[in-house]
Amino acid sequence: MRERNSYTILSNIQRVSSRRVNLIALIAVIVIAGFTAGCSGDKSILDPAGQAARDVTLIWWIMLSFSAVVLIVVTVLWLYAFKPREVTRTAAQERGIARRWIIGGGIVLPVASITALLAFGVPAGQRMLPLGEPAEVIEVIGHQWWFEVRYPNAEGGEVVTANHLVMPVGEPVDFNVSGADVIHGFWIPRLGGKIDMIPGRVNRIRLEADIPAVFGAQCAELCGVGHAHMHLHVESLPREEYDAWLGARQDEQLSALATADADQEEVRDAFRTHCASCHQVAGVSSGNIGPDLSDIGSRATLGAGVMVMEEGAVSQWLKHHQTLKPGNRMPSHGDMDTDTLDALGAWLETLSP
Amino acid sequence: MSTDSTNTVNQAAAKQDPQQLHDDLHEIWGNPKGLKALTIVNHTTLGLRFMVTGMVFFLIGGILAMLVRTQLAMPDQDFMSPDIYNQVTTMHGTVMMFLFAIPMLEGLAIYMIPKMIGARDLVCPRLTSLGYWCYLFGGIILTSSLILEMAPSSGWFMYTPLSSSEFSPDLGSDFWLLGITFVEISALSAGVEIVVSILRTRTQGMALHKMPLFAWYILAMALMIVVGFPPLILGSILLELERAVGMPFFEVAGGGDPILWQHLFWLFGHPEVYIIFLPAAGIISTLIPVFAGRPIVGYGWVVFAIIVTGFISFGLWVHHMFTVGIPQLAQAFFSAASMLVAVPTAIQVFVWLATLWLGKPKMKLPMLWVMGFLIIFVCGGLTGVMLALVPFNWQVHDTHFVVAHMHYVLVGGMFFPLIAGLYYWLPLFSGRMPSENLGRWGFWLTFLGFNGTFLIMHWTGLLGMPRRIYTYDTGMGWDIYNLLSSVSSFVMSAGIAMVLLDIALHFRFGKPAKQNPWNADTLEWANSMPPSAYNFVSLPKVETRHPLWDDPNLPYTMAEGKHSLAVASHGRREMWGTDPITGKVREIIHLPGNSWWPLFAALALAVVCISLLVRVYALAGIFVLIAGVFLLRWSWENGTHPKAAPEAAVTPGDPPLHSRTMDGPGVWAMAIFLIANGSFFLSYLFGWFYLWTVSPEWRMPDISPLSLSLLVAAGLAVSAGCGVMEKLIRGLRHKSDVGLGAGLYLVGGLGAVQVVFTGWALYGANLSPTETSHDAVMLFGLIYALFHGGLAVILTVLQGLRVGYGYVGAYAPFEPVVVAQLWRYNVVTFWVLVGALAVLPRVIGS
Amino acid sequence: MVSMMERLRLTHPFHFVIGLTLWCIWFVAVYGGHAVACEAAAPASEQGVFTLLSGGLLLVSVLTIALLAALALWCCQAAKQHQGRRRFNAAISAGLYLFSALGVVFVALPIIGVPPCL
Repeated sequence: MRERNSYTILSNIQRVSSRRVNLIALIAVIVIAGFTAGCSGDKSILDPAGQAARDVTLIWWIMLSFSAVVLIVVTVLWLYAFKPREVTRTAAQERGIARRWIIGGGIVLPVASITALLAFGVPAGQRMLPLGEPAEVIEVIGHQWWFEVRYPNAEGGEVVTANHLVMPVGEPVDFNVSGADVIHGFWIPRLGGKIDMIPGRVNRIRLEADIPAVFGAQCAELCGVGHAHMHLHVESLPREEYDAWLGARQDEQLSALATADADQEEVRDAFRTHCASCHQVAGVSSGNIGPDLSDIGSRATLGAGVMVMEEGAVSQWLKHHQTLKPGNRMPSHGDMDTDTLDALGAWLETLSP
Repeated sequence: MSTDSTNTVNQAAAKQDPQQLHDDLHEIWGNPKGLKALTIVNHTTLGLRFMVTGMVFFLIGGILAMLVRTQLAMPDQDFMSPDIYNQVTTMHGTVMMFLFAIPMLEGLAIYMIPKMIGARDLVCPRLTSLGYWCYLFGGIILTSSLILEMAPSSGWFMYTPLSSSEFSPDLGSDFWLLGITFVEISALSAGVEIVVSILRTRTQGMALHKMPLFAWYILAMALMIVVGFPPLILGSILLELERAVGMPFFEVAGGGDPILWQHLFWLFGHPEVYIIFLPAAGIISTLIPVFAGRPIVGYGWVVFAIIVTGFISFGLWVHHMFTVGIPQLAQAFFSAASMLVAVPTAIQVFVWLATLWLGKPKMKLPMLWVMGFLIIFVCGGLTGVMLALVPFNWQVHDTHFVVAHMHYVLVGGMFFPLIAGLYYWLPLFSGRMPSENLGRWGFWLTFLGFNGTFLIMHWTGLLGMPRRIYTYDTGMGWDIYNLLSSVSSFVMSAGIAMVLLDIALHFRFGKPAKQNPWNADTLEWANSMPPSAYNFVSLPKVETRHPLWDDPNLPYTMAEGKHSLAVASHGRREMWGTDPITGKVREIIHLPGNSWWPLFAALALAVVCISLLVRVYALAGIFVLIAGVFLLRWSWENGTHPKAAPEAAVTPGDPPLHSRTMDGPGVWAMAIFLIANGSFFLSYLFGWFYLWTVSPEWRMPDISPLSLSLLVAAGLAVSAGCGVMEKLIRGLRHKSDVGLGAGLYLVGGLGAVQVVFTGWALYGANLSPTETSHDAVMLFGLIYALFHGGLAVILTVLQGLRVGYGYVGAYAPFEPVVVAQLWRYNVVTFWVLVGALAVLPRVIGS
Repeated sequence: MVSMMERLRLTHPFHFVIGLTLWCIWFVAVYGGHAVACEAAAPASEQGVFTLLSGGLLLVSVLTIALLAALALWCCQAAKQHQGRRRFNAAISAGLYLFSALGVVFVALPIIGVPPCL
């Protein structure tokens, strides 16, 4: 897993001022960082970690090579045509040359290319279809601007979480996706293609992860002001770890976790007053407008990928979320005192099964 | 009439003093000054106005693009808030597509087509003027939203539900929907008249297969506008109705479907790409033979490619929707069709190549831009074929790869040829030559800047950067590529600034151009430079595709009045009406002069647009009526009206005036307009059947709410009306106008019966259009029928009045033929509508 | 009536648009028919491509191909019998009919390979 920045306000300020101090140094750093990152960013299509994505990457490199040859040949022919030369041809010869150019380049070349492309492409597309043996099913629902993730087939009962998706390694997983409000886009670039999350419909895509790893994912369809801040943290785990992960998120475990510490009753009351109408925490509240927070302490990021989860992060988020993620649907907490927010943040961070 | 008789006229005309003839023609055609300049209908002036206005919008769109690149230059920038960023990207796309690309190319066509085909103006000059004003006012309304910080922010394709009133409650979407629809009136009216002009007003002898290729390209473009724009107009009206009134066409809960919007949008949106590309390719096909110094090889191949492109582009729209989850087989159809379009494109590329190969090409400044076009466009075409491959599309759809591809196709396929064309035709606009030096700098900066921006952007997309995000995290590996793109984009804008500077300076400092400076073969170079308002003193007879190569003296003999129609004594604006296929002269078309009505009608429509925007519906209703009155008054000043052509005398041997025949250009314009209308109607039917079969929450009542007997009665009335109309036309064809006036009133009465019965059926249906999309769609269809029924009644009654005034009769039988076509259209669409809305649901059931 | 008969002659430019219009109609019919059939009575995915639906789509396609190919042939013959404008028109029409026929072949190919309604 690559380094991710933590987006606290402080580091933002630092970055802005350092940019002013020495732009050139920054550019140099970015150049180096950029090239070392190469084609292996955690959203890179060119760094596939699943069969579907690998097929596409291979097709891409073949198409690129072929296209480069075509482009270079056509350009060279054009430039060569400008070379002055003294040839006299009869009208019949000219017609012959023209016909060869037009039929060879205008018909044979494109028809052969697209036939070859379809011959490779259609089977590759077929392999990505959700055919055959039943697979693990995970439901993902896009909201403005976060992902709801549901595991309907989890042993012991459905598990619900948000912005953090865990899937088993080495087996096909069917993702049933939909949109709660507007159209969003479901896309894990390193695993395979994308599919729209449309209100009123359920679309299915089958993906498979070859290795246990963390993959970046981000909403792909413009969905409003929060579109850039709608990330999904995807993690692939070996089957037994995956089952354990689901097992730890059964309702009774989560309820026990939330209500374990009797000293925190005051904080839970504050949560019930300020947060419960939108958020669910198993055993405490059952709001269903915002993300389910029952296991929030165990998630990698906050605010659908806006911040890295670390100590004190939730309280920072509660205080500054409208700056960190402008326009998000959670009301500003300017009317609440910092102590309550800090306490809420500290308690929520303990919700880590 | 025969060509021999026109030749005798030519000799008669040749005896006139050329300077006197020029002065007389100027008296008739010349542009007024001062406030009256607003009444100008001349195609040269309006073409220039279109292009200058288009350039202004291009600069606005360009500044928006620079704002976007500034914001994306580095990660975590807070130069713009996400809301402003969404407004800026949406408006960049909208302005460039709707306010720059299409109007600019239409402006070029409006300016160039009559000159190229040897005509003196377009065939409906007042329509040109209306189109310009609608474009200008619509564009101003749309861009004013930027200043008000209320610009649309749902992306230039305005997907619902994001653009709906629930998720975009401010006025942004309304600005888009109303403004764009307003601008599209302009595109459509230009489309209609360009088609008719090319088909019916080519100079004598210019048969279809001798037409300049540019005219073929523009003909295809105009026909595509006519068929391609109505789906978007329908979609915009439906979405605006949903937003303003709450009819749930696209809302799942009410039985609508957001995917219907995507279908309607891309039914327009994909042909749109080729509407932009075809005229640009037309510029290339015009320039290459001139600079290669030989005719294009494979003229027929190019015509073939144009026709194929025009059609196939309507079968590709779903390739913008590969990720919405439609069945695999359907995706395969569209994937294959999308790749098929590579064939005509490749044919053109190799035709151009072969022409250069077999000629002696010179790398003049315009050719430099052609070169740039070739490299960029071939590259864009290749990524286009890649995108047509479904699995690859699933990966890169909605990433910066698509942004890069799209700019390669649009900038490479439209902007580079456009600049090539501007440089090429600059001497015609101004009488002066461009400078080679500054122009070369401009080209290289633009070319390198463009590739620096967008070639790199393919890579950014492959690294997984989605489109339309206002910021991104560092550490994705995107930083450096975005920075390079942003820096290059500024290089590109410096290049474009240099080009514009060059063009501006040349008006002052350019060397005076000699007649036909590039030694071109087409008739526009037979104009004076800059051209006169009437283009040509006399209209030549054309024998081949290359009139100026065959006879380099043609510009001079034309200016001396040695060819046809060199008559000005009658005071009419005249040009030839020719046979669409053979180019034989059939009639003299007399054109209307300058007029206030187009401006007034456009102003009234602008008030309608603004009052809909601020939701003062009463005012909107009043101004719809006022606009209607203006348009009807405009149509009143036609034919034998004192302001048109009360005298029908022509030089002996010349054909009659078109208003004294039964097949003038108005008949053709009406037919083309009805094709557009038919496309609108078919899109509506598509919407009805689409929602019926696919919409997730579609609710259909068990018993159809529409009374079949009332609708059948209405259908019989409109059919009877059409039958009487046909009988009257047959009479006119036999030179008989006995009972014409009374007959027309009878037809109008039958139309009124249809309107009453249809309205009764609608009233009795008791629809609740804000509850279910079923009722909303039904209401829309019936209102469509009512509107057309009412329009036919008004036009027919006006014809009856004109018979009374003596404007219409056996000696001037033209106008009833125009109106009769609307009746035929109404009969067909009404019965189809009854079948689709009232009969099929009874047969199939819900 | 005279003009209608004139238009039916293979040297009339009207034929420039007929072939591809037929292609468009075929395309919409197959795409639309397929969508409606999948919505109304989708065959089971186990059947693969050997379904009534695929067969029907294929039949429509073959008939369209036959019609377009015949028209291409007739136009080609007409082109040989004329000179000048008529030859040009018929030759272009022949090319367009041929392209339309091949266009149907090309776009219809996936019907053989891809099971419907997935």
